Amino acid sequence: MSAPGDRTDGAFADYWRQALDELACYPACPEIDPLPSRATEFATLYNVRLTSLGPYRLFGYLSVPRGRGPFPAIYYAPKYQSVLEIIPQGTANLQRSRYITFSLAARGQRNADMPYAAMFPGLLTDGIAGSASYVFRGIVADAVRGLEFLLMWPELDPARVVVMGNDMALAAAALARGATHVVTTPALFHRTAELAGKTQAYPLEEINDYLRTYPERAVAVRDTLAYYELGAFASRVTAATLVMAGAAGTLLDARALEPLVAALRGPATVYESEQSSYKDGLYAERWIAAQCGVTDVETILPEHWRP
Amino acid sequence: MPRTDAKTYRSRVKKPDDFDRFWDDVLRQAAEIPLAPEIVPEPLRTSDDIETFQVFYTSLDHVRVAAWYCRPRRRAERTPAIMLLPGYQMDPPIPKEWARKGYIALSVAPRGKLRSLRQFNPGYPNLLTHNIVDRHTYAYRGFYVDTWRGIDFLLSRPEVEPTRIGVTGSSQGGGLTVTTAAMRHEVRAAAAGAPYLCGYADAIELTHTYPYEEINDYLRLHPESREKVETTVAYFDGTNFADRIRCPIVVNIGLQDNVCPPETGYELFARIGASDKQLYPYDGHGHDAGRIKHSAVVDRFFAQHLRGER
Repeated sequence: MSAPGDRTDGAFADYWRQALDELACYPACPEIDPLPSRATEFATLYNVRLTSLGPYRLFGYLSVPRGRGPFPAIYYAPKYQSVLEIIPQGTANLQRSRYITFSLAARGQRNADMPYAAMFPGLLTDGIAGSASYVFRGIVADAVRGLEFLLMWPELDPARVVVMGNDMALAAAALARGATHVVTTPALFHRTAELAGKTQAYPLEEINDYLRTYPERAVAVRDTLAYYELGAFASRVTAATLVMAGAAGTLLDARALEPLVAALRGPATVYESEQSSYKDGLYAERWIAAQCGVTDVETILPEHWRP
Repeated sequence: MPRTDAKTYRSRVKKPDDFDRFWDDVLRQAAEIPLAPEIVPEPLRTSDDIETFQVFYTSLDHVRVAAWYCRPRRRAERTPAIMLLPGYQMDPPIPKEWARKGYIALSVAPRGKLRSLRQFNPGYPNLLTHNIVDRHTYAYRGFYVDTWRGIDFLLSRPEVEPTRIGVTGSSQGGGLTVTTAAMRHEVRAAAAGAPYLCGYADAIELTHTYPYEEINDYLRLHPESREKVETTVAYFDGTNFADRIRCPIVVNIGLQDNVCPPETGYELFARIGASDKQLYPYDGHGHDAGRIKHSAVVDRFFAQHLRGER
């Protein structure tokens, strides 16, 4: 079999076309319920349930600024953790006054953990010996479904839709229409098989654990991972993209991510981590605000980040 | 920009008069419950150098608590141990990294965390405000005891050197490090990063980010409960445990911490009772609290206090 991770490889396109076709067979059937305990004077919060591939019922938090739109939107694509946050920990709640935000729990995460409850560590290798059985086929579809849902929200400004997260942000922006901007911090699927061998840290250590236990499945694992190679997704992304790289010398630093950045079809900005959540977070907040025309970003930063 | 006033901030946190009596009573209730430890090999996560196990033990209210347990294959008959405590929303990690440094390592999943949620699962967000109007049923009453019982588990293991046990964690793990060091005299060294659950009453005014924002959400919906909330959290505030700490301790904070305000870190540090204590404030850092740079400090600190290295 040829390497489907190659952006020109038809196998990659066929694999995801089939997944998206299956996804399209299931209408989202959203249920949207206000959550008064998280409502503020500047934003309303909703619990959202919607259907994805499987069929599987997902959960998300949708926050909408009070007042008249249209508003820019930030879609927080599913992360690699069990907990679903309304907005990421440490983000000023006032962010919800300027942006529509939508965070999604993919299958297995809390609130979307019935019937499938994911384990962390464990999720990264669940079903990995077969490209059809790999759990991330469904999770990528979930991320796509979340973006599709958000884009239907009436107060959303379709010219300012930011998809933010790790690998699933890039995958969703590649496979669904509508993302105008992407902020991605690659973590799982950039040359996974190669980089796992260079670290003992989780989550990539999950791959090492798995291959140590099932060495005979190494070829199958590589074949599966090729369908998830971020470089292949990147070649379908036309949105302006901010790539948050690791600090120089770390596994996923700017140098390691050069092939991914080169594959992006839209304008790309690379930020190399300063190993400070303050400096890194501030850069991303300001980049998003500038891209979305939010001119008073300093007033919606966390108190301890303000000048 | 550093907040130069963080050091001189005047805290609102006050210790209840019956604080010690409250916790003595909780400990008495916990002591009546057998630990019933169970240790199950985890071959998938075991390698040539590190043995990994799933651990389970019973805690307050008979809640079964899970943990990861790693030990170096090559070790002394009695080996120093470190207990690793988790952040608010993180999934407790498998502590291989500590085992590779030569320690036996226990990573606890207190009630409500993944693998410990069958009997108790208020969820996230929600844990911070679960029963927050009643100190006798507040979520962290059992949650704290779950971590303290981790020390009992370590003491039950023949391969652990009982006079060389350390505790560490960051964020919620930092707060739990403080409470554990305060309540368990067997802890010989503690390293707390960006401590959460310290200065509740101050934090909800100083910052409006989650998780502390959960309390502001609660008070917005239940303004009549403010006094009850303030009463409850005073019993769980790490700052009020701090004077009981006697072991050597290092604390690191970020001066631009957007989750746990640095003001609360300074106040906590001032109230720590240990004579051997050191604060590391990192300017230009947020909730990471200078973790990358500080990890070398923590390594040296434990090597000195648990392994006798100079």
